[in-house]
Amino acid sequence: MRRRTWLGLAITVIAVAQQGHPLTGTWSGDWGPSATERHQITLVMNWDGKNVTGLINPGPDSMPLTSVFVDVTNWTVRIEAETKDTMHISAEGKLQDLGSYHRFITGTWKQGAVTGDFKITRD
Amino acid sequence: MRWLIIFAAVTAYAQQTSPATYDPDHKIRLQGAVTRIDWANPRAYVFVNVKEASGQVENWAVEIGNPLELEKSGWKASTLRIGDVIAIEGLPARGQSKRALASSVTRNGARLFAVANLAQTAAKGAEAPPRWPDGHVRLGPEPGKKGYWGAASTGALVQDSARGLAMSQDGLLKNLADADKVAPFLPWAKAVYEYRQRSLLKDDPILRCLPPGGPRQFQTANGFQFIEQPELDRILVLLGGGDRNWTVIYTDDRPAAQGDDLVRTYYGTSVGHWENKDTLVVESVGFNERFWMTAGGLPHTEALKLTERFSRPDFNTLKYEVTVDDPRTYTRPWSGGWTMKWVPDQDMQEYFCEENSEATFVR
Repeated sequence: MRRRTWLGLAITVIAVAQQGHPLTGTWSGDWGPSATERHQITLVMNWDGKNVTGLINPGPDSMPLTSVFVDVTNWTVRIEAETKDTMHISAEGKLQDLGSYHRFITGTWKQGAVTGDFKITRD
Repeated sequence: MRWLIIFAAVTAYAQQTSPATYDPDHKIRLQGAVTRIDWANPRAYVFVNVKEASGQVENWAVEIGNPLELEKSGWKASTLRIGDVIAIEGLPARGQSKRALASSVTRNGARLFAVANLAQTAAKGAEAPPRWPDGHVRLGPEPGKKGYWGAASTGALVQDSARGLAMSQDGLLKNLADADKVAPFLPWAKAVYEYRQRSLLKDDPILRCLPPGGPRQFQTANGFQFIEQPELDRILVLLGGGDRNWTVIYTDDRPAAQGDDLVRTYYGTSVGHWENKDTLVVESVGFNERFWMTAGGLPHTEALKLTERFSRPDFNTLKYEVTVDDPRTYTRPWSGGWTMKWVPDQDMQEYFCEENSEATFVR
């Protein structure tokens, strides 16, 4: 119990907003076709001055982002990637609560033939 | 008839007060009896019973400034007493709350004194700046003397071509359509800047007591001080704001840090050298992205590189010029700056920020 308390405290302390490009950072959340069928996802994105690059689920099964487009007039975001078995991923959502420590993106996630919703929050 | 007139140091103090809280476009005048005095750092409050036009009496919470600055200028917790009838001019809080930020307080029948504005406390006269035995200009106090650099002449950094742009001391543009003039933004950066402006700077990290990194460290209301240590080839910058933070400028000709040597921080890593014994040139890199580099909400990325030039054209004036180079945020490098006045014969006052301190009046 004590260990959990300290871990919680540490997470609270390091929750400092990233004030640079709004997409830069690590985002976590889930997607799925229904409320009961959900898939955990982690996205790491970085603005290099020209493009946003990054990965889905960093690790041995990571998938590079093939394209990230953000429309800064309304903060809509379109993310594309491919799974290892060449299944196409396309996510389209809206960046919300831009100034918050934990801004988030919600929208529609398509993976192969499956369509669902997603929400990812910046860690 | 004698009047006590107390001018709160709004210009200097306003930098820690969010325009999201008070409305700079409206003025308010209140009169009534003092019911309570809350003399707590960083924000002192006076509570006043005010008779409204309807005849109903409402208790107003009036913020009067930082108690340390007030004490330095002659205020004391006992200056006002419960029951004193005072008149207040200032800015009302946004929304319906009975709250205001005082710009002046008057009381009938007492002696007059004024709270000084840090930006205006410099000694008069334009003597030559003091110098070290080797001839280069001193940026700190002379041996045996006290002093530090006070508040900046402007609250927000803008590019040189935009100097004089209409904005509040907090960096809030009078006309958001002027955003293009502030800096040569990339599209995302302009959109972020405009979002921050539209939301009245409510997400400013400094309001959560995070450090004033980059140029903003030289723009806090509490001033700063140089401690020059030529025997150690370094200059320390002690900050009056930002919870008594400090930075180190190495002057031993070491190369600027780069690559894996960089540890991203609020103040970056800095190396400096003297140019013609009159100007200290400082190059800084290694900034994190957790701060706004000036009031008003200018964004930056980890690619930020600052070239800062400090010169002392006369005893009482420090000139600060900065070139901002961040190709991930701006289309080209750009420059801006301001001046600061010497605050003689004083040490910086102790100041510690309290998170959510704007709400402390309700405790």
